[in-house]
Amino acid sequence: MDVDPRHYEHVAINDNDIRNVVLSYLVHNCFNETVESFITSTGMKQPADYLEGMEKRKRIFHFALEGNALKAIELTNQLATDLLEKKEDLHFDLLSIHFGELVRSRKCTEALEFAMSKLTPFGKVQKYIEKLEDFMALLAYEEPDKSPMFHLLSLDYRQQVADSLNRAILAHMNLPSYTAMERLIQQTTVVRQCLSQELGKVTCRS
Amino acid sequence: MGGVEDEEPATKRTKVSFEELRGLSNGSSFIEPVSASSSDLMARPLASEGDKEVVGSKGIIKRVEFVRIIANALYSLGYKKSCAHLEEESGIRLHSSVINVFMQQILDGNWDGSVSTLLKIGLSDERIVLSASLQILEQKFFELLDAEKVMDALKTLRTEIAPLCINKSRVRELSSCIIAPSQCNLVGSCSQDTVRSKSRSKLLLELRKLLSPTVMIPEDRLEHLVEQALLLQRNACIFHNSLDNEMSLYTDHLCGRDQIPSQTLQILQEHKDEVWFLQFSHNGKYLASSSNDRSAIIWEVDVNGGVSLKHRLFGHQKPVCAASWSPDDHELLTCGLEEVIRRWDVSSGECLHVYEKAGIGLVSCGWFPDGKWIFSGVNDKSICMWQLDGRELQCWKGQRTLRISDLEITNDGKQIISICRENAILLLNREANTERLIEEDQTVTTFSLSRDNRFLLVNLLDQEIHLWNIDGDLKLVAKYKGHKRTRFVIRSCFGGLAQAFIASGSEDSQVYIWHRGSGELIEALPGHSGAVNCVSWNPVNPHMLASASDDHTIRIWGLNELRMKRKDTHSNGVHYCNGVPERSLKGSHWL
Repeated sequence: MDVDPRHYEHVAINDNDIRNVVLSYLVHNCFNETVESFITSTGMKQPADYLEGMEKRKRIFHFALEGNALKAIELTNQLATDLLEKKEDLHFDLLSIHFGELVRSRKCTEALEFAMSKLTPFGKVQKYIEKLEDFMALLAYEEPDKSPMFHLLSLDYRQQVADSLNRAILAHMNLPSYTAMERLIQQTTVVRQCLSQELGKVTCRS
Repeated sequence: MGGVEDEEPATKRTKVSFEELRGLSNGSSFIEPVSASSSDLMARPLASEGDKEVVGSKGIIKRVEFVRIIANALYSLGYKKSCAHLEEESGIRLHSSVINVFMQQILDGNWDGSVSTLLKIGLSDERIVLSASLQILEQKFFELLDAEKVMDALKTLRTEIAPLCINKSRVRELSSCIIAPSQCNLVGSCSQDTVRSKSRSKLLLELRKLLSPTVMIPEDRLEHLVEQALLLQRNACIFHNSLDNEMSLYTDHLCGRDQIPSQTLQILQEHKDEVWFLQFSHNGKYLASSSNDRSAIIWEVDVNGGVSLKHRLFGHQKPVCAASWSPDDHELLTCGLEEVIRRWDVSSGECLHVYEKAGIGLVSCGWFPDGKWIFSGVNDKSICMWQLDGRELQCWKGQRTLRISDLEITNDGKQIISICRENAILLLNREANTERLIEEDQTVTTFSLSRDNRFLLVNLLDQEIHLWNIDGDLKLVAKYKGHKRTRFVIRSCFGGLAQAFIASGSEDSQVYIWHRGSGELIEALPGHSGAVNCVSWNPVNPHMLASASDDHTIRIWGLNELRMKRKDTHSNGVHYCNGVPERSLKGSHWL
């Protein structure tokens, strides 16, 4: 539905709102240098503990992304003490990344031992069993990248886990786990979809 | 070398060329490499004197196959030395040396060796080779796991199994088994079967099933062939009426007439008038009889087949024309002719209830399969249903039944069968409320339902008994003739093992017995001095038959001792009188 752009101009927008939206996006994704210069340029009030938390989160995120899950876990425990205990799913995913790295570097014995000591305890709960089996299946192949489970070793997977970890940490610190920007775009998309469906119905009838 | 014996091993003999060993392959598609097993099987050439290619009078059994199957049977019976001896004497090897090596390797756990030997066997179907190799490798894998050699097991999985195995989910299962044995935390991920490796002999058994039967004879092949023959004989035996499958291998199984009850063992004289009806209980432990003397009697059958009076049931004011056992045999219904129905407790003999309809008379009675309701034919041609406590539940009016008529219900409680017109039987489906009709061209007098509810035996006025299939389409299946019926109601019944026989009363005072399948009249048993009105075959003891007659008596029939004695001890299907090996009903006081 195309509205006359002149209609938009009647809506007043608060400048602060826009800046907050941008800022929340930058903070969420840990672009700390950009945050600093943005704050300086706009003359916004600087939220005190944002930076420190951001720096730590950035490191954690990158460790997870590159596969150094153990380091990521260590730092997470420092930053948000009982987070991983409460979020077992996340804990498992992080451990599985480490396992994946061992498999990728063909360290089978270590991988097996790691799995037996760290991953199998999760097997007591039904929902982890399938995931566990997926990972174990990686061991069966000499070329795990060519196995049916190759996606578990991919960057995409690690990205996914790192993202979840980031959100969990933010939530733990009582900060929004989704950026305003994300929400806004999501909302707009949904609204547009609804509207075009409605329009579709109207034109059909007429 | 002087004095060369036949026991010399095959390798020292000249190898016989493949073309000469034609008898071995039965023309099947697999081709064995020339250097291979077939020549290996023969320690000496075939064509010596007296060594024909076939055995048996019909010339269809190949000698080599026959000997190999026997050797196989000897081996599985545990007579290994005899097996080896047979191989030597006949010059025919049970298994080629390659197979022997293979089997030994499996039992020794020499996996790598067995996989390579597998390839040497020369099977044409690659899928079989693949499948067998995988089974062997899996056994290797599990045995390593059991021995806690986890890394070795993993190595086998990675380097040997995964490359071969197309079934990805199997690989997945195997890899999760790696963790399972040491830490049984994975709930339900491995079935009991796969966590532990199976025994090597079990593996060998499975491999045998997989490999071509000419290469490795299936286990129990001889036993299987013999069982086939015995079953064929049994199925062909028309007099088959023996309880146990004591079939001997020495002669073909053929039951003689001696398996059919044909001798009067007891005469029961407690009724004071014509006995019109009798029926054994479902468990064969009791017999109910009803008479023109207005009473009914419950008899007890003891373990030796002797019948004695348990209770006399008095109360009816009219002749008792029918009786019906409750499904659990604890109670009995009796029906007075156009009068009332009485329900009796079998153990105490007391009358528990009287069912009646004011002004009209009841003519037949029966139980619902769940034992909670009873139904009855009424002489106003309707059918009535009561709860045990006497509350009337339902009544089907209209021309449902005749004045005097049988009434039956199927085991699933769905169909009610009654004679609705002179020459028609009605099958009423209660649930679907539909009706089917069996129409005869003669007047129908009585009928009887088979135990499996698939057949109906119909007695006709003109002295024929017709067997109808009521399962699906109504079809006339067989006819039985020979007995006499002119004026009275004569009943017939199914009986014997698997209800393979038909028995009927007759006005010429004899009991008639036919073979159900062929329609052949087997026996006409004299003894009674009046029309035989009703017969009942003990459902649990195929050698016991009861008949009720106008001469006021009931006769109990059993196996003929004389006939049984005449037979040789080793022939078949004989010697069972009521399940007791030695006959025990000699008592002269009974006859």
